[in-house]
Amino acid sequence: MCKKYDTVIGLEIHAELSTKTKAFCTCDASFGGDPNTHICPVCTGQPGALPIINHEAVAYAIRAGLALGCEINRYSRFDRKNYFYPDLPKAYQISQLDLPLCINGKLELSTGTVVRINRIHLEEDAGKMVHDDYHGESWADYNRCSVPLIEIVTEPDIKSPEEAAEFVSKIALYLKYLDVCDAKMQEGSIRADVNISLKPAGSLVLGDRAEIKNLNSFRSIQRAIESEIARQTEILSEGGRVVQETRRFDDATGTTSSLRSKENANDYRYFPEPDIMSITFSEEDIERAKSEIPLLPYERVMKYTKEYGLTDEDARVLTLEKYLSDFFDEAVSIYPEYKSVSNMFQTEIMRRVKETDTEEVPISARDFAKVCEMADKNTVNRNDAKTIIRIMFEDCGTPEEIAKANGFIVVEDTAAIAEVVDALFAERYDLIEDYKNGKTNVFGFFMGQANRALKGKATPMSVKAYIEKKFSEV
Amino acid sequence: MNTISNLRKQLDKKEISSVELTKKYLENISSKSDLGAFNTVCEDEAIRAAQLADEMIASGNSASLTGIPLAIKDNICTKDIKTTCSSKMLGDYKPPYNATVIEKLVKQGFVPLGKTSMDEFAMGGSSQTSAFAKPKNPFNTECVPGGSSGGSATAVAAGLCVAALGSDTGGSIRQPAAFCGITGIKPTYGTVSRFGLVAFGSSLDQIGPMANSAEDCAIILNAISGHDAHDHTSRNHNIDFTSLLGKSISGLKIGIPKEFFGDGIDEEIKTAVFNAAKFYEQNGAELIEVSMPSLKYAVSAYYLLACAEASSNLSRYDGVKYGYRTDSPESYDQLIKKSRSEGFGDEVKRRILLGTYALSSGYYDAYYKKALAVRQKCRSEHDEIFAKCDIMLTPTTPTVAYKCGENIDDPVKMYLADICTVTANIAGIPAISVPCGLNKSGMPIGFSLSAKRFDDAKLIQFADLFEKENPHPVANI
Repeated sequence: MCKKYDTVIGLEIHAELSTKTKAFCTCDASFGGDPNTHICPVCTGQPGALPIINHEAVAYAIRAGLALGCEINRYSRFDRKNYFYPDLPKAYQISQLDLPLCINGKLELSTGTVVRINRIHLEEDAGKMVHDDYHGESWADYNRCSVPLIEIVTEPDIKSPEEAAEFVSKIALYLKYLDVCDAKMQEGSIRADVNISLKPAGSLVLGDRAEIKNLNSFRSIQRAIESEIARQTEILSEGGRVVQETRRFDDATGTTSSLRSKENANDYRYFPEPDIMSITFSEEDIERAKSEIPLLPYERVMKYTKEYGLTDEDARVLTLEKYLSDFFDEAVSIYPEYKSVSNMFQTEIMRRVKETDTEEVPISARDFAKVCEMADKNTVNRNDAKTIIRIMFEDCGTPEEIAKANGFIVVEDTAAIAEVVDALFAERYDLIEDYKNGKTNVFGFFMGQANRALKGKATPMSVKAYIEKKFSEV
Repeated sequence: MNTISNLRKQLDKKEISSVELTKKYLENISSKSDLGAFNTVCEDEAIRAAQLADEMIASGNSASLTGIPLAIKDNICTKDIKTTCSSKMLGDYKPPYNATVIEKLVKQGFVPLGKTSMDEFAMGGSSQTSAFAKPKNPFNTECVPGGSSGGSATAVAAGLCVAALGSDTGGSIRQPAAFCGITGIKPTYGTVSRFGLVAFGSSLDQIGPMANSAEDCAIILNAISGHDAHDHTSRNHNIDFTSLLGKSISGLKIGIPKEFFGDGIDEEIKTAVFNAAKFYEQNGAELIEVSMPSLKYAVSAYYLLACAEASSNLSRYDGVKYGYRTDSPESYDQLIKKSRSEGFGDEVKRRILLGTYALSSGYYDAYYKKALAVRQKCRSEHDEIFAKCDIMLTPTTPTVAYKCGENIDDPVKMYLADICTVTANIAGIPAISVPCGLNKSGMPIGFSLSAKRFDDAKLIQFADLFEKENPHPVANI
């Protein structure tokens, strides 16, 4: 079927930076805390208080910009965005209008679409309102006030709900890899505003657009866009016109509804923030920032396939989450048997952490590497190695301690091997005669008997070697 | 008339204790309470601070302001002491923190006598827009002391404190200093931290001293200035404001900008200011004529910039977190609208409206942006002037102090009276007002000196020289 309309989507992604302190004061920026415990005169807008600038936040924003192919404005400035709301104690948000930190970036999607990034700027978050309908009261919690955010604004280059969802999840992954945002959507650390318009298929003229505000999951981004496309398609098909407005998405009904029209839009009266001097960057600053960028997901995939010799699929799976990829990297830096570590990691570690909600591996990469090495070198057998990992997940203890306590250590007692095998040979001389006559399957009998007798004292490999030696001598 | 330098000697020689001195000033404040200089007198804190100061002095650890009783303008935050900005909006507001200047003074062991009245949120030139005490001019109590730091000027001129802190956004230290016959300096923007100064026009505001001598101003500036990590606009500098005291001015050049002596300036003031210029000439300085063509735009640009910033700075007073809140609002919108309508006075509302308009979409380019262009022009003209001379000399005010109630219904006339002072704020340069006699009706006249940025010590040098031979007038009260 020929599509009647092309979808044109632009995104504004707000990502909370994971700095230790807030953007414009030194309060704790971590999520949570009892209401109004992470506050000070500055972030609660006390008379006379002034903002200071968190250079860590600026560095994070620059790092994100550089990783997304942006140019860094050598001269950047903050502006005030003025509006009244009880969760905004100063009644203005410190943001950036004309001279954002980063401009002109891009990110390629799996569809081949290149999404241009118009800008990335630094701004501060607002607080949170808690409404108690029972008592008819509203409370303001300023803990989130002034936590640093970056806003990533794309050009209208995205063509489908799936592309939009992929873009946001890719941005989330990048920001995690860059260590600038924990990208926990359930804690609101990434939120997106979506601009959508339709135009007749192939047309170059953009249609009137609607903006859907404050989407906070990959799923709701995709659903909101799907529902909005359906709504706009219906309007246009009936010869109507899309009203330029801000809409909200209702997760329960899966539909969007009008929030405010363009005429009622706020006039934010932006003007340059007089309390913060403009920031300038030298070439050296930019070079230093570039050198601090860690390997990004696609670069790690390259490393895993080219340097480690892993398959494309293994490399893809290993880089899906930064903390897992980091863990794997640390393990192979200690024990560089890539394929073996990758297998053990995927079956024993990734499977287990996926069953939990936490984004951390409860055991150390050093211990994990040790277990892989023990299995490879037959210090323990492979199944026992897996049991050691299970025990480490549930309990504490080093691999060596666990292996010892559970009798997993394989000992190479050569004297015992000789004793057992020699005795067997003496006892069943009849079978040796058979062997000489070409009945080689008696080898299996000797292996089975000897291994049973030597369990825990020798590895089957050593037993086999000794038996082979004995046969060659007869 | 007491000066800090005199009192320092008496205190260190134990001729008087800080407690005795403080009690004397508290008595003065109480006996002259009808002057309306103070919104809050903090007797207990003052006595406690004086006792601590006496201990410091006894142990030989006195700094230049240890035990010295000072008054503080009521827009400088003092922890747990009301800081009202003379506004109903902050009538009961006690800051949870000290302004940086207060922290610095506390470390020196100063004595805080109280918080002086002012124009509401520092908006005005008469101190009569105060919602609380309305200060009077000690030279004629029917006249205004000027503003917005009128309470501080009254307190110093009437001997209710040794010196005081004021703040200056467009002349708010210098104009009341001129009206009340004392010395007041607005230092270079960025020399004194603004952290804890309730913001009016952030790019223009600066805290400064008001005192009985330029030397006292220098002593206070040495104590309160310096880079502050809490104020991103504060600058690293190592100015010793007293460093040029007593140095010869021979061969230095004084620029007289002709635009500052136009028709609007009172003839008696022109004469007194020219006499001050002649004094410097007789002391070896060279007078040259300079020009500042942008002066005619300065007042308009100043009011656009100051009000635009104020409209944003004062938005935080919404009745939500602290300060005045209207009774039982029906909605959040009503809470904000009513709290602000009831909490702010007329002049503050006028300026918020003006500033909001100037920043509104569709008007920004015509007003705010134009004002920024004037600011740029004004700065480059100052650069040109100070390439030719060391100091610029002008009147501080077009008239002497006027009667209370005058001008109040004519905001434009009131705004134009700031013509001689606003350029220093627009350009961020230092400027000082020094008394130069009385007019026929016995009201003080002041002249102003300004210099290039961070040349503040030179202003002190020139002002001090003049004061040595031309003592401040004394109010008969």
